[in-house]
Amino acid sequence: MKNLHFCTCLLAALLVPCLAVAQTTENWTQVNLSVTDNHVIPSYISLENAAAGMATAAQSFCRSPDAAGLDVFRNGFHNSMDAWQQIQHIQFGPITYFNWNFRIHYWPDEKGTGARQLDDLIDSMNSDSLATDNFARESVGVQGFPALERLLFDDESLLAFREDNYRCQVAQAIALNISDIASGVSQRWRDEFRTTIENADERGFFESAEDATIDFLKAQIESVRRIQQQKVEEVIGDSAARARIRRAESWRSNRSLRNLRLNVLALENLFSGNEGQAVALGAVLMPEDRTLISEAFLTLKMRLEAAPDSIEEALDADDGYARLQQIAAGLDDLFEAFEAGLKNTDLYLGFNSLDGD
Amino acid sequence: MVTDPAGLVMKLDRRYFLTLVSAAIGSPVLAVGENSSDTTALFLSAASDSDDQHWVIGFELVDGKSAEKFRHLLPARAHHIAVHEALGVFVVIARRPGNYLWVGDLHSGEPLAEITVPVDRHLYGHGVFSEDGRHFYAPENAWQLINGDSGRVVAWQVSRDSQGFSMVRAGDFPSYGTGPHELLLKPDQNTLVVANGGIRTHPERPREKLNIPSMEPSLVYMDAVTGELQEQHMLDAEYHQASIRHIDQNASGQVVIGMQYEGEPFDSAPLLALHEQGKPLQLLWAPEPQQGQMKQYIGSVRYDRSGRFFAASSPRGNMISFWDVATGEMKKSLRSRDGCGLCAIEQGFLFTAGSGRITQYDLVRDEIEALNTGSDGKVFWDNHLSMIAR
Repeated sequence: MKNLHFCTCLLAALLVPCLAVAQTTENWTQVNLSVTDNHVIPSYISLENAAAGMATAAQSFCRSPDAAGLDVFRNGFHNSMDAWQQIQHIQFGPITYFNWNFRIHYWPDEKGTGARQLDDLIDSMNSDSLATDNFARESVGVQGFPALERLLFDDESLLAFREDNYRCQVAQAIALNISDIASGVSQRWRDEFRTTIENADERGFFESAEDATIDFLKAQIESVRRIQQQKVEEVIGDSAARARIRRAESWRSNRSLRNLRLNVLALENLFSGNEGQAVALGAVLMPEDRTLISEAFLTLKMRLEAAPDSIEEALDADDGYARLQQIAAGLDDLFEAFEAGLKNTDLYLGFNSLDGD
Repeated sequence: MVTDPAGLVMKLDRRYFLTLVSAAIGSPVLAVGENSSDTTALFLSAASDSDDQHWVIGFELVDGKSAEKFRHLLPARAHHIAVHEALGVFVVIARRPGNYLWVGDLHSGEPLAEITVPVDRHLYGHGVFSEDGRHFYAPENAWQLINGDSGRVVAWQVSRDSQGFSMVRAGDFPSYGTGPHELLLKPDQNTLVVANGGIRTHPERPREKLNIPSMEPSLVYMDAVTGELQEQHMLDAEYHQASIRHIDQNASGQVVIGMQYEGEPFDSAPLLALHEQGKPLQLLWAPEPQQGQMKQYIGSVRYDRSGRFFAASSPRGNMISFWDVATGEMKKSLRSRDGCGLCAIEQGFLFTAGSGRITQYDLVRDEIEALNTGSDGKVFWDNHLSMIAR
């Protein structure tokens, strides 16, 4: 057993001397509950509130579609997407119930399934399919953010909504569906899954408290690699000439890099905690590794803060492609720092689960 | 709303299940495995370590602990280990797209032979001995056949005597599909059952799946001597992306099938099935949320010793589920981080995990016991666990 210790100091303030305590079940649970209470639940509540606001804006807009109403609806979309991007990395627990994770954000849609299904739905003019319970059973591709973005962020969106009230009803149904999902996930975490986390050592849903910590670590570390590959490298390709903006997440709403910036801030928050938070997920790693990871976060954040929200705008700049490459490299450095940190612990994220045989 | 997923751990009719289990295990008619005590059993599994070295490890269970008997370094990562008690040998089969068969002595663990398949072939990680030990069968990929069915089943002639150990290629048959994975010999020893996963791969792009839109998995019954096709069962077209990968059988020859679905992660697709030769496939579904928690992936299936229950591992979903064959219903699920290797033991199952854990589940008492794995150095257990009673 490696000499692994928890550090109970505030991790964001790495200069503060750390009090090292032995690795115990109580400490795994302490980390898990701290992350749940300070990061996960507040983030889901933010999403719940933002999505409720968007649903209200949608309802108001569709009563009498006009430019001002569309702006409010779009603003609601941005607020909700901002909140979603800050909790998108949690892919265990209630978000996995009822396919909620796929229904709220079916992306990447490599086969263009969502677009076809959305066109079919609009062509159907079937109001019954938009009733809440029925809509939840519609194809995953029409239920979440990408479908709503497609309807909201087109130059002709307002005209299309005015000419086709059913189209607006579809947008309204999607907004309400996102709100219902956000509310459901938030409520389940507060009412059920927090208790599951708290009692993880009783061998119910989890094998142990450490097992629950590993789910948080997977959310932390695998998300870094995923956004590097899916949100950056897949878009920029191997040369500026081969960059494909339409492969970017949220390219229609010109917020691909805003998503990425929020992802990284949220991942840093998961790792380091809020000001005053006694312990965060980084506590499971060795102090020297935490320092390296914090430095990698800092470098990456500086690169992202210098970038515009839109990946198209970023690529239009003279040095835009090189800057996106630097962002990809920053994500790679961050992932490597996490990998190196894990090697200095007995923690392990997956072997057979990554196998494919 | 759809089904209520609040019951994160399957709430069972526990008394009913335990009554069934007790009755089944107590019935000698249904016994599948050896009746000797597991305290003398040798378990074998491939494993890897954090330095990316690959091993075959033999261990016993002693007083609630796993006691390592031997470990040997392998040329590359392995998958399944086939054992033959009378011959006193085990064969480690290379993981796709590996090309070696590593043969060891069951008692000492010492290597007996390392055999490679021809350069235009690779193995799929599985193999099986005939009951008399005279033959060994393993699926191969004739990967240069990039259009037609490239799956092959190769029969090896085996001997071990005072002259030593030998394995000679003696037959080379089509598997009647692409990507054959696990195979077994029916109790009559005349019929091979082959799980054709349906996925085309090429050793130059070793982990890439090349034909997902058109894949056609199948379960094949073929003559073990002539290679002649007896039966081939396909899934309905809507489930053609459910790769038939892992199989086991009970004493009556019923086959349980574990699948890996290559379609969308939110599709409702079957991951388990039962089959009796001459009949259609019987698809099995877990209730929600367990069906969703399997993450479209079953890594191993094994019957218990009575043959009336089977276990299915879902390493991506960190779950092992237990099923009643008579009703086709899932009766229990257990959390197991990266749990995959399964083996029937007295009273239940032993399972190994990529996390290095070894866990014993007592079906009769409904008790789980994590075994102390000692201080032999942490390893990541590979997908399959084998056992031989000694």
